[in-house]
Amino acid sequence: MKLELGKIEITDIQFSNESRIKGSTLYVNKKEIENLILEDEHIKEVKIDIAKPGESTRITPVKDVVEPRVKVSGDGGIFPGVISKDETVGTGRTHVLKGAAVVTTGKIVGFQEGIIDMSGSGAKYTPFSQTYNLVLSCDKADDIKAHTYERAVRMAGLKTATYLGELARNIEPENIETYETLPLMKSKEEFKGLPSVAYVQMLQSQGLLHDTYVYGVDAKQIIPTLIYPTEIMDGAIISGNCVSACDKNTTYHHQNNCVVHDLYKRHGKDINFIGVIITNENVYLADKERASNWTAKLADFLGVDGVVVSQEGFGNPDTDLIMNCKKIEEKGIDTVIITDEYAGRDGASQSLADADEKANAVITGGNANELITLPPMDKIIGHIDYVNKIAGGFEGNMTEDGSITVELQAIIGATNELGFNKLTAREY
Amino acid sequence: MKVKIITNNPLVYSLYSEDYDIDYQEISYEGILKKTRDYVHKGHELLTHPLSGSVKPNETPFKTLLISSKSKDLNLESLSIIENSIETAEKFLQRQKKYSDDIEKDFMEIDLSLIENVINKLL
Repeated sequence: MKLELGKIEITDIQFSNESRIKGSTLYVNKKEIENLILEDEHIKEVKIDIAKPGESTRITPVKDVVEPRVKVSGDGGIFPGVISKDETVGTGRTHVLKGAAVVTTGKIVGFQEGIIDMSGSGAKYTPFSQTYNLVLSCDKADDIKAHTYERAVRMAGLKTATYLGELARNIEPENIETYETLPLMKSKEEFKGLPSVAYVQMLQSQGLLHDTYVYGVDAKQIIPTLIYPTEIMDGAIISGNCVSACDKNTTYHHQNNCVVHDLYKRHGKDINFIGVIITNENVYLADKERASNWTAKLADFLGVDGVVVSQEGFGNPDTDLIMNCKKIEEKGIDTVIITDEYAGRDGASQSLADADEKANAVITGGNANELITLPPMDKIIGHIDYVNKIAGGFEGNMTEDGSITVELQAIIGATNELGFNKLTAREY
Repeated sequence: MKVKIITNNPLVYSLYSEDYDIDYQEISYEGILKKTRDYVHKGHELLTHPLSGSVKPNETPFKTLLISSKSKDLNLESLSIIENSIETAEKFLQRQKKYSDDIEKDFMEIDLSLIENVINKLL
């Protein structure tokens, strides 16, 4: 499966009478997007804002971030099974509005998650302080349930990103990158002599506000399966996970999965990156046993020499992570795990809720309990009134001047467990 | 499978108390974890993860767990998971103060959602 990613650089975003891309500026017709979102009767009102890098702007509570993309050739369309028909994606050409993002906010439940600061000390902890963001603040229709509202906000983000992606359909990108994964046996033949490596991606799948969808299928219902890495780039995996801001994978993280990209960089050089096994993180311990058995079985079946496992979330998934690691290692396959830590504010406590001696190669995305003070911002997009009740917030954490002290876990992507961030720890 | 529900969530209690063996007590999140540990020591097997949900232990006041209804020999894996979970929960010391009723309801709803996915698939 071969996919070309054509990148159209976006370095500004402005409202206009006509939605289009001119040069590297994305012009957006606000009214058209409002109409698109309000097609859904579950959303009563939407407010659309622009947030640019360096501005004194705070966005909260952030639900999802989506990168606008469009499929210009190859089977299917972006976000298959959700926005586009359920065809297998991952081939042909996809255009990307690189530098632009759609950010959704909404008061889905009374406690809230997720801050993006576009400047100041918090900005360096989130990748979305560097993107030109179209922010959708969606208010729900009266008397609808949290499940329905979450879905409506999720769909608003995906529909808007698809609308913006369409603007790049007929633009010839300056920069095109090609990614190719051969069928297994051909890959083994082609790269004979190189150690073969698979990527095990764990998907959040516990329940309301904790879900992920694969081709539209709720990941808690799947048994582990195989997916080409390029399918993920075309939006085969989307986020319905609105909890644990620092280590949740937004749809943007899935589209730009850095484990996939880093493995591709070494593919054919010093490793043979043969593909991705996706698995889930359920609440029921029997599901965890089954899923980790299958993950290890698939890794064994593929005959790989090494596996990289990434986690999503806190607590419960630590057990899935360790089960996956242990069972894959027991098959004689070297395993590296990527996680983050809740090691207390001083970093001195046990980092994970589970451990095993076979987990001897661990990459951390940082300590989510670490405290940070965020300076006041001139503009707030969304709702700030719950910031003392978000994860990592606490009573009395807002001062009169508007600065807030929170744990890093309040910031979107701060300790991301794909490694899509800047924090880690090294042993020399 | 016959299960026992341990919960401090009144919403879970109201929905499942007629059809399931349920130990409902108005105690803290940590209290529920420790009560579960007592059951594990008596030989009940843990069926759901004690730290289910990414809502942090010092955020949500509600916790629901499933254990086996029958007790057998001490299940060491269950013991290890519940002990590690209690240790992890204790790191989140600074508990939120009282929430408004609306927010409490949201927390109940999330806790219910995590457990109903499991209850719906029990044979």
